[in-house]
Amino acid sequence: MSVTKNSGGKALDVLKTLPRITLANLRPEPGSKKADKRRGRGQHGGNRSGRGHKGERQRGTRPRLGFEGGQTPFYLVIPKYGFNEGHSRRPQYQPLTLKRLQYLIDLGRVDPTQPIDLTQLVNARGVTIQPLKRDYGVQLVDEGADIFAAKINIEVQRASEGAIAAIERNGGVITTSFYDPISLGILIKPVCFFMRGQPIPRRMLPAENMVPYYVSAENRGYLADPEEIQQARRALAQKYGYALPDISKDELYHMLAMRKDVRQIFFGLSPGWVVNMAEKKILKPTDEKLLKYYSS
Amino acid sequence: MALSMLSPRTVVFCRTFKGISSSKAVLSVNSRCGPLLQTASYNPKPLRLNIKDPYIPDKNSEKTPEWQKTARFDRKLFGRHGSASGVDPASLWPTHEELEKIIAEETEWNPPLEVMLNNIEAREKEETAKQLAREKLIAQNMAKMPKMIEDWRREKQEAKKKLKEEKARKARLLEEARERFGQALDPRSAKFLDMVAELEKEEKKKKKLLKRRLREEQTAAPTTPAAAPSQ
Repeated sequence: MSVTKNSGGKALDVLKTLPRITLANLRPEPGSKKADKRRGRGQHGGNRSGRGHKGERQRGTRPRLGFEGGQTPFYLVIPKYGFNEGHSRRPQYQPLTLKRLQYLIDLGRVDPTQPIDLTQLVNARGVTIQPLKRDYGVQLVDEGADIFAAKINIEVQRASEGAIAAIERNGGVITTSFYDPISLGILIKPVCFFMRGQPIPRRMLPAENMVPYYVSAENRGYLADPEEIQQARRALAQKYGYALPDISKDELYHMLAMRKDVRQIFFGLSPGWVVNMAEKKILKPTDEKLLKYYSS
Repeated sequence: MALSMLSPRTVVFCRTFKGISSSKAVLSVNSRCGPLLQTASYNPKPLRLNIKDPYIPDKNSEKTPEWQKTARFDRKLFGRHGSASGVDPASLWPTHEELEKIIAEETEWNPPLEVMLNNIEAREKEETAKQLAREKLIAQNMAKMPKMIEDWRREKQEAKKKLKEEKARKARLLEEARERFGQALDPRSAKFLDMVAELEKEEKKKKKLLKRRLREEQTAAPTTPAAAPSQ
């Protein structure tokens, strides 16, 4: 193979001899164009090319969607008002009634001797959470509050006052906490996440419009001051007229006092750890910067 | 899920164990002693993983698809096969540059809790101030309300009275015109207008006279009261 002095010298020579590039000597890349379909040829000649007989169907002149032949269409008859504004972007909370929770506990699908969070509820098939459909978790509803009789430590995303009262009357503990959609996806499918081999991320703080809910002790928010929560517990007991059981002398005190950190997603697992299911190992970062980031 | 991944046999063993324990659990529920045992058995879907002969893509081969050469796929391999995947565990975490990027993004989009609380407080303060100002304005205006209503009623009555008087005067003038000319006159005719002007002139004169007389009486009056105390 002969090596020319300057690279591309031969190609340059060829280019110089060739006519100038114009629109007249350009053509599309082979295969980039597809021949149009020719309707009504050959044995189909004289037929209707699959469009039926006459009219708007054949000619493709159908009126717009919703048009009712001149009568005021239904979609314009109903006046619009802002009740449903932004409905497709509103956070959804799947309801979980106390009745169903009691049912799950009675069947042994949920273990009340361990803290109950969304992972337990989803694994027990108690609720179905779809973060991609703007689900932000579960709301505890007070239906069945009169038959509820379990002592549990539960963490939900929203809770009604009656539900809080029913749980605390039995000596239980309830916390409402926020999970951003990514953390929520991890929480409801832990194994799928562990199989991805990624470090557990930090849980994000709620958006500004959700902060007031999780800061208030009346809602047992996870950002509220623990002392205020104690006061709120007593106030609620007085309001609903029950004696508040003393948790600190309970045999399950350790379980009942368990609480997640603000940035923590799983009980007992810190952000930044990698859980390997194949080897049954937990890997922890040692780099200072990483530690600083994950602990902040 | 994790159990099934390791060996299907252990799962079977667990299931049989659960089957045994379930009867115990029922007993314990009935006798109301001891903690409640898990009775519902969970049958996980088998995780189809080739553990004995894992597929580790060759990074240098051209045949390997691009997406299998990414760090994300490496992490996945490590998650599935552990150290058998040959992936350095240190590569599971973000590098310093990536971490800096992550931190920068978080500081940009996720303000700390204190900042959010301050914002909320400021907004609430502003809203309450606005509400209070509005309530104050309404109270002030409501205090003015009875007087305004009174004024409006009086004005309305006065206008009504004035209209009535005007009507009566016109009727009187027409009556007078009819008496004077012996026939009903058009109120727009020159004859009538002349008559009205004449009458007005007379009235003015009368008024003047009345005024003068009044003044005379007033000038005379102070002398008498001044004289009275002296008596």
